Amino acid sequence: MKTRRLIMVIALLLVAPLLFVPPAAAQDKTFTVGISLPLTGAEAKFGEMKKAAYEMAAAEINAKGGAKGYRIVYDIQDSGAKPETATSIVEKFITINKYPLIVGEYTSQCSYAVAGVAEKYKVPYLVDTGAADKITQQGWKYVYRLNPPSSLYGAGLFTFFEEVAKPQSIALLYENTDFGTSTSKAMQVWCEKKGIKVVLSEGYQAGAVDFKPILQKVKSLRPDIVYMVSYLMDASLLMRQSKELDINPKAFVGGAAGFTLPEFLENAADASEYVMSATLWTPQVKYPGAKEFAENYQKKTGKAPSYHGAEAYATTYVIADVLKRTKSLSAEDLRAALAATDMMTAFGPVKFTAFDQFTNQNSMDTLVLQVIKKKYETVWPKSAASGEFVFPFPRWRDRK
Amino acid sequence: MSGQVSGQLELLLQTLISGLLLGGLYSLIGLGMSLIMGVMKIINLAHGELMMIAMYVTFWCFTLAGMDPYVSVLIAFPLLFILGAAIQKFLIAPVMEVESILPENQVLLTVGIGLVLSNLALLAFSADYRSVPVSYASKAIYWDVSVGGQSLSLSFSVPMMVAFGIALVLGASLFLFLARTDLGRMIRATAQDKRAAALMGINTKRITYVTFGLGSALVGAAGSLLVPVYYVFPQIGGPFTLKAFIITVLGGMGNIPGAVLGGVVLGLAEALGSVYVSLGYKDAIGFVIFVLVLIFLPKGILGKGSA
Repeated sequence: MKTRRLIMVIALLLVAPLLFVPPAAAQDKTFTVGISLPLTGAEAKFGEMKKAAYEMAAAEINAKGGAKGYRIVYDIQDSGAKPETATSIVEKFITINKYPLIVGEYTSQCSYAVAGVAEKYKVPYLVDTGAADKITQQGWKYVYRLNPPSSLYGAGLFTFFEEVAKPQSIALLYENTDFGTSTSKAMQVWCEKKGIKVVLSEGYQAGAVDFKPILQKVKSLRPDIVYMVSYLMDASLLMRQSKELDINPKAFVGGAAGFTLPEFLENAADASEYVMSATLWTPQVKYPGAKEFAENYQKKTGKAPSYHGAEAYATTYVIADVLKRTKSLSAEDLRAALAATDMMTAFGPVKFTAFDQFTNQNSMDTLVLQVIKKKYETVWPKSAASGEFVFPFPRWRDRK
Repeated sequence: MSGQVSGQLELLLQTLISGLLLGGLYSLIGLGMSLIMGVMKIINLAHGELMMIAMYVTFWCFTLAGMDPYVSVLIAFPLLFILGAAIQKFLIAPVMEVESILPENQVLLTVGIGLVLSNLALLAFSADYRSVPVSYASKAIYWDVSVGGQSLSLSFSVPMMVAFGIALVLGASLFLFLARTDLGRMIRATAQDKRAAALMGINTKRITYVTFGLGSALVGAAGSLLVPVYYVFPQIGGPFTLKAFIITVLGGMGNIPGAVLGGVVLGLAEALGSVYVSLGYKDAIGFVIFVLVLIFLPKGILGKGSA
């Protein structure tokens, strides 16, 4: 009798945990992802756009029943674009909140700092905007990147230069941050290889009031192209002051970031006209869902999204896809599922591969846009163009 | 003269023009801090945040009422005077009266005030970067001069020249006010020796309110003048507090003509440094000068005698 009772008890104990496992498709399951983003400070505009896009995508997925029954929930914290704040936010996400997946951040500095933390704690981190080459060149196992590295941002520009602009000389101005330096470096290396004379390569500190001295130097060197890598307000000031100094290269070209935001058009006003920029994405791209995303975003926020929004939006769909494929919610299984991603998003194809010195790196074609009649038009490559490019730019004094 | 040389000359002249015009604006920013430093012997580290408030005043005057930024100086100036005087009366004065462990308590207090102001602005206006799209923002007057048979084309930014002019007028008025009026004399007397001034029947407490108000109003005016050429966001204050501090030290802690000179020196140094050294080291150049002045001219560039 006694042994029988003991066996019964043991059997009950073994079965009991199974009874408490919730059914696989219950709607109240949530999957929380930690996001550190700059919501205040100089890069707040980018953070706001990404936040809106993340939340839009999560709402869409959750409205359709979530991913494999999981509702995607974002825990978004403000890093103020400070790497030390971003680091501590993510440490908290991992050690206290126990989130098994980290995404987000905006600047390269912050993304790099967060990547270091994620790698240390062996929690997968999906980078979706930070573009400095080094982020995916460390051989890190837990760091994946959705956006192309900054040295490939200019790919679309390169073909434009080769086939249309054919410049003889170029001046480079860049913010002396990870992103600015590495984007400008890629341009410099390419130009030198093609025999285009780099007449000036100058880094600057963000937030300057007066760029006129350096722009005057640019003017005196008379380059065919002025290439600038800047975040938002510096981009606006650079253009306003270039107009003021009557600098007339054949083209002003931006290296993505600040030159692609709708706020650039507002702040630089008529000085933004004709400015070209490299970009990863525009609302006119042919990827499935891109147009709908752009329209919904416009409806929700009143502004057109730049590639930053598309990145955040696509990231959410990648997470949903990973949730569908993962074996469990452990960091290790999520990482394995993330590594096996091969899908199409509104931002473009996503597949993480190793090439050159990069690992876990997505790659895609990049585009060139131009401000025409106060609107962004995709002008290159021809296959994706929504408008005809204007090159060379008319001189400032000849514009009406 | 060859084209090469004239190109270099044009670059140098244009750099000097830009530096000088910017320096005028810096002077106005530095004046307010220097004045407060002179009378109250404290560095007001909320200086840049006060400027930020004035910039928002200007921004909203433009956005809501279509008021030209230069006209809104007339609103920002008195408004910031009241704000500054109130801060002194209700926040700083009570702390100054208390014997404290740290004599720098008032300075810490101003840091706190600055934080509160910038975070209030963040709350009220969000982190958005705002600029005022005036038609003359990137207007310039071009001056073609001919030197040695080569023509040089120099540009003078219209908003910077207007700002420079107004800064000059305000600086001169302040100087006259301090030199010629009774209130000005009282302020100077309080700056020289607070106790003696009190013994002479000067209400030194009221003088400190006026001084703080005036210092805030001056930086407020500078903020309004900066709006057309720059942009405003809640965290804009910090770097400008630093610049004002450098100018104050350059000019010799509380020396009014010194502050004007300090501003111009800083503007020129930044402009020349960014062309001939590197744009990335622009801010570092300001600090190098700052350190050099502290070591070799501890009383500032216009300082005379010893303490």
